[in-house]
Amino acid sequence: MLRSDQILATVEMIQKENLDVRTVTMGINLLDCRGGDIDATCDRIKKKIFSYAGNFVATCNEMSRKYGIPVVNKRIAVTPIALVGAGFHKEDFVRLAVTLDEAASSVGVDILGGFSAQVEKGMTATDREYIASIPEALAATDKVCASINIATTQKGINMDALAMMGRTIKELAEKTAHQDGFGAAKFVVFCNQPGDNPFMAGAIHGVEEADAVLNVGVSGPGVIARALERLIHHHPEPGTLQLDELAEEIKQTTFRVTRCGELIGRAVSKSLGIEFGVVDLSLAPTPTVGDSVGEIFKILGVDAIGAPGSTAILAMLNDAVKKGGIFASKTVGGLSGAFIPVMEDAMLAEAVGEGSLCLEKLEAMTCVCSVGLDMVAIPGSVDADTISAIIADEMALGVINCKTTAARLIPVPGKEAGELVNFGGLFGASPIMALKNVGKSSRFIAWGGRMPAPIHSFKN
Amino acid sequence: MRKQMIISVMSKDRPGIIASITGAIYRLGGDVADLNQTVLCGYLTMILSVSFEPEVTKEDVLAAISHIKTDCKFEVSIKEVAHNPEETEIEPPETYILTVQGPNKAGIVHGISQFCFEHNINILDLATTLKNDQYTMALQLDLTRSASSVETLQKELEEYSRQSNLTVMIQHNDIFQVTNEVSLH
Repeated sequence: MLRSDQILATVEMIQKENLDVRTVTMGINLLDCRGGDIDATCDRIKKKIFSYAGNFVATCNEMSRKYGIPVVNKRIAVTPIALVGAGFHKEDFVRLAVTLDEAASSVGVDILGGFSAQVEKGMTATDREYIASIPEALAATDKVCASINIATTQKGINMDALAMMGRTIKELAEKTAHQDGFGAAKFVVFCNQPGDNPFMAGAIHGVEEADAVLNVGVSGPGVIARALERLIHHHPEPGTLQLDELAEEIKQTTFRVTRCGELIGRAVSKSLGIEFGVVDLSLAPTPTVGDSVGEIFKILGVDAIGAPGSTAILAMLNDAVKKGGIFASKTVGGLSGAFIPVMEDAMLAEAVGEGSLCLEKLEAMTCVCSVGLDMVAIPGSVDADTISAIIADEMALGVINCKTTAARLIPVPGKEAGELVNFGGLFGASPIMALKNVGKSSRFIAWGGRMPAPIHSFKN
Repeated sequence: MRKQMIISVMSKDRPGIIASITGAIYRLGGDVADLNQTVLCGYLTMILSVSFEPEVTKEDVLAAISHIKTDCKFEVSIKEVAHNPEETEIEPPETYILTVQGPNKAGIVHGISQFCFEHNINILDLATTLKNDQYTMALQLDLTRSASSVETLQKELEEYSRQSNLTVMIQHNDIFQVTNEVSLH
């Protein structure tokens, strides 16, 4: 048997520190579901999803009970739908979204991702039909999430698609104005989108994947925060604890958290007979008190999130999480890093309200963490080109730094900076962030075409 | 066919006890198959599984250990076993870890072990520590013979926690293995 102190450390982590597996996401290939018409296609999609995921939720719940660790979300990611629906028109894509929504409900998953396209270099006629369908498709469904990859380090940025993004997001928010623009919370724009990310809204089942695969997203900001607090508490004398020791604590805690995710994921995979894909090592916060990435900033020494030092802290946190997780898991992938989704993290949202966290600082922080400008509520009056331009900056960070970046911006119709928006549940709440320099980027967005790939992408 | 014996020895702890005991066994032609020892409050206790030639008797082993020169006399107990104990010791496929934490008081170990007994749960390993008047106990359990499911046991232990003012939890052993060991099973 293990030593008592090791046993107790694990007990603390599970019982008192919000340890959970944030998501088990089943990726399902739908490329073989294209039928002769939309009816046949929808029928095949439903059957295929049910055939793989019929017992998925029950199996996750069974493993969760067996090991005593909650699996918070059970999700499905499918092949980017623009590929599945090649040749279909806008209204057909809306039908596909509704079908996916029904399929998700029939198997009892929380969310389904993959209402997506990959247009980093160019757009087909189908891609344009798909983009045109996004506002209506997401307004007509509850569980479907959409994402689009408009940039890669290899290909640069598709500026035509980028220009469409601002307009799409505005239209989507306005179509769901009665829910404060909630539709926009289900749509994310990517650079270097991975095909095995289990987290929403950006989960897809990449075309490089097997027919079905299980990916796991671990959680654990609460566990890391408590571990750091304990370490600091045991070193009350100034000078007895340095930053490298705090980084080491994060690393070791992440190791344990990741191992739990791997254990549950592999157990579900074995039980369902579906290949295990990756563990995504991301630190994903929830609006629950004590489960915040923002809290870790304060524990590590800045009195306000967004104060100088915040980017450095996030860089260290992100790196330590990767180091701990990569050794813990046989296969890692997805986004793997710390998330800073403003609305989903109570302390980040609070920092927006206090004015300490602004868009520019968030953007700087996204240079050193996974993903990007995530779940940021902005005034509904901001014009489409400004939204596209904010996304352009975020895409450029990803392209140049060879990393995934994304933007999930919510222009809240009829509301201005400082007003509160609340989506409830895991989507959270936040004051609307004030933006500077609105309406000054239209000439840049109007160029269209492509922003060329950077010199360091040419490695052949 | 060699003869199997289980030997238990207790003594005040000092350097050289295991060397002396296993030396006496070796001189009798004994082969130590397994040995487990622990030290508590300055006293050592060990249990050995040993095989001998058929002509060696319990009395021979006892005499050999008794002749070891030592300040504190060994308390020895020997049992002959009919068959190789390894044959019956099959590790259960799944084990659980039960932890108990709370202020020290009389009857904690008895209460928990009685709970296990009443539910036909076998205790495979048990360790306790007392620090700052806080008592901690960790048990490795085999539930295969118990009629209760883990969920039922968890609910009953929650009730037990409330009544006894102790924090009692049961969790699958795999969780502890994967979070504390380098290799991924």
